[in-house]
Parts: sequence; C-alpha cells; structure tokens
Amino acid sequence: MNALEFWHHVEEVFEGMALSGHRRQMRAEALELEDLFLLMCFMDLLGLPNPGALYLLDVYPYLVEEFHLWHRRTGFDRSPLATFSCC
Amino acid sequence: MRHLLERRVLLFGGKGGVGKTTCAAAFALAASRAGRRTLLVSTDPAHSTSDVLETKLGPAEREILPGLSGLEIDAAREARRYVDEAKSRMSGLFGPAVLAEAARQIELTSSMPGVADLAVFDRMSDLVLSRAGAYELLVFDTAPTGHALQMLRLPDLLSSWVEALARRRREGLQARANAAGADAPDSRRADPVLAILEARSVRLAAMRAELGRADRVAFVLVLIPERLPLEESVRAAHELSEAGIAIGGVIVNRVLPEEASGEYVEARKAQERVYLREIERRLPPVPRALVPQLESDVHGLAGLERVRACLVAESGPHG
Repeated sequence: MNALEFWHHVEEVFEGMALSGHRRQMRAEALELEDLFLLMCFMDLLGLPNPGALYLLDVYPYLVEEFHLWHRRTGFDRSPLATFSCC
Repeated sequence: MRHLLERRVLLFGGKGGVGKTTCAAAFALAASRAGRRTLLVSTDPAHSTSDVLETKLGPAEREILPGLSGLEIDAAREARRYVDEAKSRMSGLFGPAVLAEAARQIELTSSMPGVADLAVFDRMSDLVLSRAGAYELLVFDTAPTGHALQMLRLPDLLSSWVEALARRRREGLQARANAAGADAPDSRRADPVLAILEARSVRLAAMRAELGRADRVAFVLVLIPERLPLEESVRAAHELSEAGIAIGGVIVNRVLPEEASGEYVEARKAQERVYLREIERRLPPVPRALVPQLESDVHGLAGLERVRACLVAESGPHG
C-alpha cells in the first residue's frame, strides 16, 4: 500500500463515520416525523378532539405496525393504549 | 323564487320550527312540477319530511311522485354504514390479528362525538358529487341553522386537517427514504396511508368547490316574522357569506293573511309589519317569498300545493 492509497482508506473511514452519524440523525428525524403523524392520528385517544377521526378508519390497520414500533422505542413494553393493544 | 329552479343544489335552513321542512318539500314539489327531476333529502334529525309528505321515506332514494324522489339521512345509521364499509374494504388486506386490533380502534372512533355529523356530511357529498347526474335538482332540508352551518363548514375544516396529515406523512416518508439512502425503493409512491389521505383530500376539495359555486348551489333562509328567528337568520346570513355559500332566497313563512281581522290579529299584524320591514332591511337583497299563515297546518300534498304556489308566484318585493 503506498501513501496515496493509505490516505484514501483513511478518508473512507472518516467519510463512513461522518455519514453514519448523519444517517443516524436523519433516521431520528424520520422517526420524529412519524411520531408526529401517529400523534395526529391518535389524538382522540389522548383526549384531544380529532376532527376527522372517521376519515382515518381505513388508515388504522396500516398503522398497527407503526404504532407498535413507536411504543417500543418510546419505552413502553406493551401498548399504553387500552384500545389499541397491538401486542 | 322561480330563479332557484335553475340551481343544482338548494339547502333550506332556518331556526327550528319555522317550517323549513314544509318549504323544502313544497319547493321540491314545485321543481318536479316544473319538469325538473328532483331529489328531496332530509338531513334534519327530526325527520319531519315523512310526516309532511304523509309517506314513509327511508335511507334509500324512493319515488314519491313522478319526477320527485326523497330520502332521509339518518346520522347513526350513516356512521354505522361508513364503519362497516371501511371494515369490509380492509378485510381483504390484513391478517386477522391486525384486523382485530384495528377493529377496536374503529369501533371506538365511530362512537366519538361529531362522527355522526361527519357521516351525514359524507353522504351529502356523495349525493352532490355523484348523484347529481341522476337528478337535475337536489333539495336539502337541513338541521336547524347552527348545526347546519357547522356541517357546511366541515369541508373547510377537514380539508386543512387532512392536508396537514398528508403533508406530515409525506415528510415522514421522505425523511425515511433519505435516511435509507439513495438506493432505497420509493416508498412514497406505494404508501397506502398517503393514498387514502390524498383521495379524501381530493374529495373534500371537490365538495368545497361545489358548495362555493353560486350559479349551482344556494342556501334558502326560512324564517317567520318574529324576533328570534329574524336574529338567527341575520347571523346565518353573515356566516354563510363568510363560508362562501350563496344565499339564493328568503322565505318568510306564516305571515298573517290580509283578510284576517279582529283586535288581537290587528295587534299582531302591526308587530309583524315591523319585523317584515326589518327582514327587508337586514337580510341580503335576494328574492323573497311570503307564505301566509294557513287556516290549518300543512301536511299532505294538498297543503303543500298551497305553499308551493306561494313559493313560485311571480311576486314579492325583490321579484
């Protein structure tokens, strides 16, 4: 390995570190946005009026999985909502 | 108020007890007589339309007379139907475990306050957007003013809410795609949640646009010459103009007839003239129709005939 190749490798390592940090940050941002979306869908269960709950009926089954992931990552082993106990 | 025969959708509204249902039914009768295929729809939870017409109306369209059909929208039933339809749509798409969990949430949702209104509004949208081809005129007998106005504002309220949800969803999907890297599949296009939200949003926008078309849709204010109905109508006129819904006419119902006399009646008539002048002055300058107080209350087709004649007569202060 010559000096140039060596520096290429070093560069790649740093780039990878920077990128993974960036990725992690982006993933966290994505999760935050998803949580916000879930919150808007489940407002009524938290006691907030949900103006279009009826319009979300078809959406709920698609959200069972996302809801499960949310409560796991928030630190609830089991669903905190009695009416939406996905596990 | 013959000019209203040219509209596609008429909404009759006013304070409870002023004769909305009678006027809506009489106007629907007038329209069908004038050769317009007409559907009379009662959304008033009191459902007096069946009583006025002396014929049983139900949730399905039914012909009452040649060219005139009717139906009554029942809020609880509509909410139920909406829920059942949503359930059947999803039954093919998910496993039983997911369905069982979602079903609980769905049942809970269907009993939330406001859901019944939304279901009625949804059915109204259906009729306005999809059944307008089968009929030339839809006549809605709405719930008492406050409630009706709240319902007519739903598309505004809901579309901003559904659009906000869709936007969050889109952002979430985009953020996830970005985080996954460039080679991730385009999850945005395939997302069923976003597809549902966008379809709802399109429909709400269509209903909103339709309600705002003054050449096709008009609200008819019904009142009697008394203080409280007058004040409520003035407020309603304000709110309708704020909501962008045109007022097409004003019907003053139960006006004491010229020929009535006697000391008591004269006193009432003097008071009535004050209110009639106020109605002239304070309500928007749209055509008026005066319907006299009849010697007996109106039910059945014969009674409606007399009201019908007043509604389409070529008179009135504004034509």
